[in-house]
Amino acid sequence: MTPANVRIGDETIVIGNGSWGRFRSIVDDAVVLGNHSTMEEVHFAIGRNGRLRIGDYCYFTHAILLCDFDVRIGSYVIMGFNAVIADSDFHPIEPALRVLDALACSPLAGDRARPPIEQLPVVIEDDVWIGPNATILKGVQVGAGAIVEAGAVVTTDVPSRVRVQGNPARIVGVV
Amino acid sequence: MPDRSMPWDWYGGEVPENVVLGRGAFLETTYSFFLHRSTRSDAIEIGSGASVYKGCMFDTGPDARIRIGHLALLNGVWLIADDGIEIGDNALVSWNVVIMDTLRFAADPVARHRELGQIATRRPRRPASMVEPSRVVIEDNVWIGFDCCVLPGVRIGEGSVVGARSVVVEDIPPYTIAAGNPARAVRGLERTERGPNVTA
Repeated sequence: MTPANVRIGDETIVIGNGSWGRFRSIVDDAVVLGNHSTMEEVHFAIGRNGRLRIGDYCYFTHAILLCDFDVRIGSYVIMGFNAVIADSDFHPIEPALRVLDALACSPLAGDRARPPIEQLPVVIEDDVWIGPNATILKGVQVGAGAIVEAGAVVTTDVPSRVRVQGNPARIVGVV
Repeated sequence: MPDRSMPWDWYGGEVPENVVLGRGAFLETTYSFFLHRSTRSDAIEIGSGASVYKGCMFDTGPDARIRIGHLALLNGVWLIADDGIEIGDNALVSWNVVIMDTLRFAADPVARHRELGQIATRRPRRPASMVEPSRVVIEDNVWIGFDCCVLPGVRIGEGSVVGARSVVVEDIPPYTIAAGNPARAVRGLERTERGPNVTA
């Protein structure tokens, strides 16, 4: 079942049993998908306050979108098998805060709030191609037409029309 | 017509006619053929005693051929083939490994625009190949760790090991441990006599 706060554009299809299994967002229009896009077995793991935008004519197969805050994806974007976008660390880096976080996440949490967790928006501009097993981390902007090679781990911004490869991803060519 | 379904299969499909299973080969689910489009009569050959577990996907183009050796073990491996992928005997390939003989899409964003426009009109929505494929060969007794990618045109030599999360962009010689993104040779492996002589 597609959640009520998800908007799917004309001729866009979302196929797959697990697509909305980890959808938790309560914001209005949490997910807005453009027109003519294909979302096959995409994992929409959207946190309570998460907001995701995807443009037109995108083609994602078995991609994983981990969005607790804000992910904006343009049009004509391709994501391959098991490629991941994450806009949050999901847990605090500081060990003492992580202990508190574990408690707040547990069945014993009661009304304990989770400690602050670093989240930064991710922006994927038009015509970006993200290869299989690639990972895009929080705060990253990937410029229009860039190619993220298979298995790359992107930790910093990628300019338009370059190819990046490796872990951490480095520019290896132009498009 | 022989029954080509499998009683243990959660997906409840049938093994396609052009998939040949060797004696004692194990296939966990026919969902692995959800993206199988090859129309060759010898499209997929799975060797005797080989195991193909859940999560494996044979994402084949119309003329692709995939051969998996005897006693090979594939667990959650994504095979993207438009030409050919060959995996040798006794190979071990771990979860979320992607082996591809084609990138399918072209590097030029304008050309990709046209193809993405076309995909949205196809039923089912599948990409056509925009680039020449280049076959991949994984020789006998290779072990590939989890989350690796093996890119088009690569040959991994007999007995070699590829560390987890590596991205293999060029050939790896036989009896070598390689790791990293992009993968580099780390050290050699001693070529010893095979252990017990097991034949499939």
